[in-house]
Parts: sequence; C-alpha cells; structure tokens
Amino acid sequence: MTSTVASSTLLEARAIYKAYKGVQALSDVSLTINRGEIHSLVGENGSGKSTLIKIIAGVIGPDRGEIVFDGRRRSEGLNALGAIRSGIQVIYQDLSLLPNLTVAENIALSQVVEKGRRFINWGSMHRVAEAELRNIHAVVDLDALVEDLPVSSRQLVAIARALTQGAKLIIMDEPTTALTKPEVDALVAVINELRSRGISTLFVSHKLDEVLRISERVTVVRDGKPVGVFPATDLTTSQLEAYMTGKTVARKRFETATDQRGVPLFELRSLSREGHFSDVSFKVWRGEILGITGLLGSGRTELALSIFGMNPADSGEMLLDGQPVTIRSTEDAVQNRIGYLPEDRVLQGLFQSKSIGENVVVTILNELRGATGLISSRKTRTTISRWVEQLKIKTSSSSLPVTSLSGGNQQKVVIGKWLAIRPQLFILDNPTVGIDVASKAYIHEIVRDLARAEMGVILISDEISEVLGNCNRVLVMKEGRIVREVRSSDATEEELYGFVSGKAN
Amino acid sequence: MVSSAARRTSSRLVRRILRRNEFYLFLFFVGFCALVQGFSSTFLTLENLFDVTRTSAGFAILAMGVLVVLLSGGIDVSFFAIAVSAQYGAVKLLIALGVSSLPMAFAVSCGIGLALGAVNGLLISAFRLPTLITTLGTQTVFHGLLLTVLGSRAINSSDLPRCFLDFSKANVLTLSKPDGTPFGLSAFVPIAAGTYVLTWLLLRFTKLGRGTLAIGGNVESARRLGFNVPLIQVCVYSYVGFLAGIMGVINVALIRYVTPTTLVGSELDVIAAVVLGGARITGGKGTILGTVLGVAIFEVLQTSLVLLGLSSFWQRAFVGLIIIAGMSITAYQTKVRNARNLIFRLE
Repeated sequence: MTSTVASSTLLEARAIYKAYKGVQALSDVSLTINRGEIHSLVGENGSGKSTLIKIIAGVIGPDRGEIVFDGRRRSEGLNALGAIRSGIQVIYQDLSLLPNLTVAENIALSQVVEKGRRFINWGSMHRVAEAELRNIHAVVDLDALVEDLPVSSRQLVAIARALTQGAKLIIMDEPTTALTKPEVDALVAVINELRSRGISTLFVSHKLDEVLRISERVTVVRDGKPVGVFPATDLTTSQLEAYMTGKTVARKRFETATDQRGVPLFELRSLSREGHFSDVSFKVWRGEILGITGLLGSGRTELALSIFGMNPADSGEMLLDGQPVTIRSTEDAVQNRIGYLPEDRVLQGLFQSKSIGENVVVTILNELRGATGLISSRKTRTTISRWVEQLKIKTSSSSLPVTSLSGGNQQKVVIGKWLAIRPQLFILDNPTVGIDVASKAYIHEIVRDLARAEMGVILISDEISEVLGNCNRVLVMKEGRIVREVRSSDATEEELYGFVSGKAN
Repeated sequence: MVSSAARRTSSRLVRRILRRNEFYLFLFFVGFCALVQGFSSTFLTLENLFDVTRTSAGFAILAMGVLVVLLSGGIDVSFFAIAVSAQYGAVKLLIALGVSSLPMAFAVSCGIGLALGAVNGLLISAFRLPTLITTLGTQTVFHGLLLTVLGSRAINSSDLPRCFLDFSKANVLTLSKPDGTPFGLSAFVPIAAGTYVLTWLLLRFTKLGRGTLAIGGNVESARRLGFNVPLIQVCVYSYVGFLAGIMGVINVALIRYVTPTTLVGSELDVIAAVVLGGARITGGKGTILGTVLGVAIFEVLQTSLVLLGLSSFWQRAFVGLIIIAGMSITAYQTKVRNARNLIFRLE
C-alpha cells in the first residue's frame, strides 16, 4: 500500500488488540490523528488508555493490529527509541526532567544522546534551547536549574525538549493536573502554536471541560473497547461522561435540611496566616457540606492545612461546639476529631509500601489493642474487613499492597483511614482529582453519607460542578480571602466560575 | 545609558556570586587563615604552603573521586582499601621484578585501582545494589584479600625501589630561604592539579560527564533520555579506582613506607571535606571549585588545631560534625522548599 505524501493523516492505529495475562486490555481499538490536530483520548482508569499510549510510543507491542505513522507502516519489533526517531514524543506526568541541570541542558541534552555524540558543545546547546523556547514563545531563563522552576515552566521545558527531537506528535499525559488556570491557558496557547506548525498533540486528561475546550476531536475508550470518535464541538461534559461510563450518571444536587441556628459545630474567626490567607471567618453546622473553591494559589489548601494543624495560623480563633480550641499540630487535630483528606493522596495520604488493610487501620492502632496491650490480629482483621466492605473497595484481598488499587479505590482507602477515627469535622481537599467518573460519583456519595451522619464536612475543589452539586453553601477564595459566599441552590456554574476567575464581581 | 546597562550586568554578576556557596566557603577560608596567622606567624609562608600542598595532594586526588561518585548519586567508601591494595601491589611487583620505574609503578597501581573500581561498578549496576552497602562490603573484601594474598608485612624505606624515594624529593620549583636552605613545590602538586583539570573536562565536556550528573539528579529520567546508566556507573567507580591508584603511589612516596594496614578506615575524612565543599550528599550537585575549597579548609583545620592549642582528637569529632551538618542543611533546605510549596511529609 502506498500512501500519498500530502496525506492529512499523521497517525493511524488500526484495530489494536492487546492482552495481559489473559486480561484483554485493548480489543479492536483504533485511533486516527491528523496532522496539526489536537486530539483527546479519554476513558476511565483501566479503560486501556495507557496501554494504547504505550503501544503508540513503541514501549510495548500490540498483539494484533497495525500502526501507520507519517505514511509509514510500523514494522514489528519497533522500540521506544525507534518511535522517538520517527517523531513521537510522550511527555509523562512526571515530565522526566533532570532537576539538577540547567534549562538549556534539559532541552538540548537528549539530542546529544540521541545523535551519539561523545562531547558537549555548550554554545550549540544554548542555541538549540534558545531557538526551541522562542518557537513556543516561552520565556524561561536558560541558566536556571530546573528544580528551581515552577511546574508550569518545567512543562514548557519538557515540550521544548520534545521539539528538539523533531516531534511530529506530542502525547501529553495529564499535563494540567498541577497547573493554575492562567498556566493552563498558557499551555493551551503553546499547543495551539504547535498546531499552526503542523505538530499534532494527543491530550490525555481527566478534566473533561479542558478536553472539550482544547481539542478538535475526542476518542473515547471504555473497558478496552472503542466507544467512538466525536467532534469536541458537539459534546457536553455530561455526554462525554456518559460515553466513558456507559451510563448516565444522575446529577442530583445534594440538599440537607440543616438547622443553622444555635451553636455551629465549627467556627473560624478571622483566621490569618502571613502570606497564605487573611481574615477568614466561617461557620460549619453538623450535617452540612461547606464548599470552598478558588484557583490554585488562592489560599484554599493553605487554609485547610491550618485547620488540620500542619500550617498553623498566626492569628484568629477556631471554635469547636462553641469552645475555643488550639490546633497547632496534626495530633491536636486528630484529638479534636478533625479528619483531613489531602490533595496529594500519593504523597500525603497513603503508606505506599503497606497493604490496603494496614493503611485503613493506621489511624486507630490504639483501638486495636487486645487484653495484653499488644495489637490483636483478630480485632485488626475484623476491623479491616468491615471497612473494606463498607467502602466498597474493589480488591481480591486486603493484604495486597495499596499501590495495586486504582486511583479511585486508593482514595477510598484514604477516606476510610480517616473515617476510622470517627471525625466530627472532615476536610476533603480536591478528593476526585485524577479519578475516573464512576469512582468520582461513589466518592461524592460517601461525602454525602458523612453529612447525613451528622458530620460537618468541608469540601475543597477546583471543580465548580463538584462543589455546586454537593455543597449547601460555597465560599469563593481569592488571593487568600473569602470574596463570596453563595447558596448552591441560588447559583449557576457560570456565575460561580465568574466569581472564581474574578471576571464578575 | 551604557553605564547603567553595565552597572546592571555587574550587579547581576555580584548577585550570582553572592548566591554561590563557594563565595562563602572562600570567605570562611580566608578568615580562618587570618585567625591561624594570628596565633602563629609561620603559618602564612610560602614554605608552609608548599609543605601543606605536598602532604595533602593525595587526599585532594581522592576528593575528586568522591565528588564524582556523589554527583552520580552514589557513595564510595572503598577507595582507601583500593589505594592500599594498588600501592602495595605495585611496590611488591617492582621489588619482585627488581626494577625501579615510576611510570611502571603508576601503571600497575592505576591498573589495580581501575580493576577494583570496576568490580564496584559492575556489582552496583548489575544488581542495582545500594552503593554504600556495596562499597562497604568490597572495602572489607579488597582489604581482606590484600592481607591474605599479598601479606601484611610493612616495607621500610630502605627496601623501597629507588624511584619512590626520588619521587618523594622531586620538586617542580625550588626556591631558597633567606638562610640559604632550599625548599620547593613537590611534584605531587601538579599531578593533583592535573586530576582536577581532567575531572573538570570530563564532567563538563563529555556525554559521560553530563550523564553522571544526570543519573545523580534523576536516574529514571536519565534512562528515558537514553543514557546508558550501567555503563556510566561502571565508569564512575572505575574512575574512583583509577584516582585511588594515583593516590597510592603518591602516598608511598610521601611517607616512604608501605604497610597494608594503614589508611583504610579514614574514608569519612575525604567525604567530609567534599561535603564541606558544598557537594550534596544525596547526589547531583557539587562543584570542583567547591571541592578545592572544602579540601583546603579541611586541611588547614587539621594542621592548625594543634597550632590553636586544641587536641588533635577534636579532628575526629569535627569530621562527623561536618557530615551531619551537611546532611542537615540539605534536608532543611528541602523541607523549607517543600513547606513553601505546601508539601508535608509525615514520617
């Protein structure tokens, strides 16, 4: 088969099959990307997205199916290096940069390695790096060390590096997770710039609103099978969710009839911390879900960490049941039965090397002691199995390592760990970041159950729909202050979005 | 306009210098030298300078090896065992052959060093072992094999091949004091300087050198970039062995005596000096200039404690303190950086 040089198709992956140890990860999945197209690949965790990316990148080979890239059919036994040489670049979530080297080196070094040079020409490295950064209109100090850069700049460095190797297709795996809104906009501008140069982008993301905003077409996979390819303009986020999950997730707003009179469960009186947030006051009643939203850097996470004692406030008061409390450490917080679900569950929420069960009971080891004062294995077993069942954690055994779980199930473990202390106030910081739609709905259900059990819940989220759909009231934070309080029944997503981004006032 | 632009460039330069670790090390070094000079006016003389550089040349060469290993994200504590094996092997062979040839001494010593270093590198890269444990193990193995295979008998200066004694007295520059007695700059010093220049060239201008820093920064990223991580590790540890071989010969000439029971056990001194020079003990960061200053400060402290009226046993405590302080500073900086980014690790 001969292909025309001017063919508008850059990548065609046809009817790809791949099985791992009897599990069919991909069956009959196809993906077509045009030259200069911004294409998105979406699917829940375990839907086969990562397998497909690995096959395209040459890291693993397909069992069946063929890949035509840039007019050439890929031969069998092609490896990752071959894929890179043909013009496919993957920017993984960790960016794979060298933190202790300069920007210039990070951009230009891969070229040196790839061309098999033995010696370094610093002048030409600088020129290469400078030219690539200029091409994407990025301003980054060439002599700065990568470890001193913010994540957004690191991403630009990774993109520039991909371009030095003559990338025709750049695959970005969850690139926007750690970016603020303006930074995402800057990234989108760069991707658009690439498009104008004929470079295609495959965007893999859980943030469906971004997917729709950025891409031209969206390929959806579910359980390793193709669902379809859709023009982004014809889609809404809820349609996309339905395609991903195969069912329409009913979006019902949560309403609790809380009695907002008398003494609130928890109250902040002009809590401040220099440089983080100032003069924050609010009340939380039992059985209520209070939402806090704002951009990354608005002070919302800083505030949550202060309530939990990790980032103690400089001034202001905290009251539980009307009584002033001092919380200057996590021990204080746990003693006052305040639970906190951190934003980064991998770093802060889980003991990665331990089993699922051990992670669940780690906060209540004292309660597991038997008559001898030592930890009773019988008590431990029953407690673990009770929680695993209650939280519907999908696993064949609670003694498997916690890392064997999918993101959503890991999150359930973290939540379970905190529920074990029977908190009266529970703070959840972006609990559904990077989690697939079905698990997301389930976590929302857990959060609602907490409120139904007369707990006070603070739900912090970037996602407007998440706070609106689950909270009674929503506070909007900006530059360390609460700038707005809305009742979720009175607000629309658009309005709230306006408050958050500061366009409306 | 021109002058304001020039001023801006120069103020940027000043800011760059102020940010450098080496600047503060240098200030400390100068201040400490001035202090010692206050106690003993013979300290800051050319003769003393020549003397100190001669006795510390071997130490300084090993510091280069330690710097390279630290940059690669590893650590090596077997270099003294390698140096002793190399020097003892070289001396024994020269005596057995009845030859007196300095180039041959260097060739044999460096050859043994290179081979033993390669053993370290192969073990570490083939089995992905932790470097500290591996080299702690090979230190004992190398030293044990040396004592059993080549023996433990000391060789006195009267039995040493002539070339070592000549090398001991060799000067590249000879001056005379006011009273006419000559003193000079030992041939050890340009050799040490040569290893510094060589290391600098390798680190800065070769793919191997950049790869060494790359694996010290993030080994997984380096691998994805296409660096051959096992090869780099073998090269790094072989290079340390090679430098230990050079140091071995210089050490024989310096003390005019060989015994396979010396040196091993004071590895921490060299590591401390390099860490003092700003090398990050967890890898990826460190400079040659910093190492020069670290070694200089370490040597001056060592030679001057007695001058300052302190027991030389302070030296031991001091070495440990430098290591702990070096680690603490790195950990503290990471913690501050993390706290700024609101990352808290509960450990």
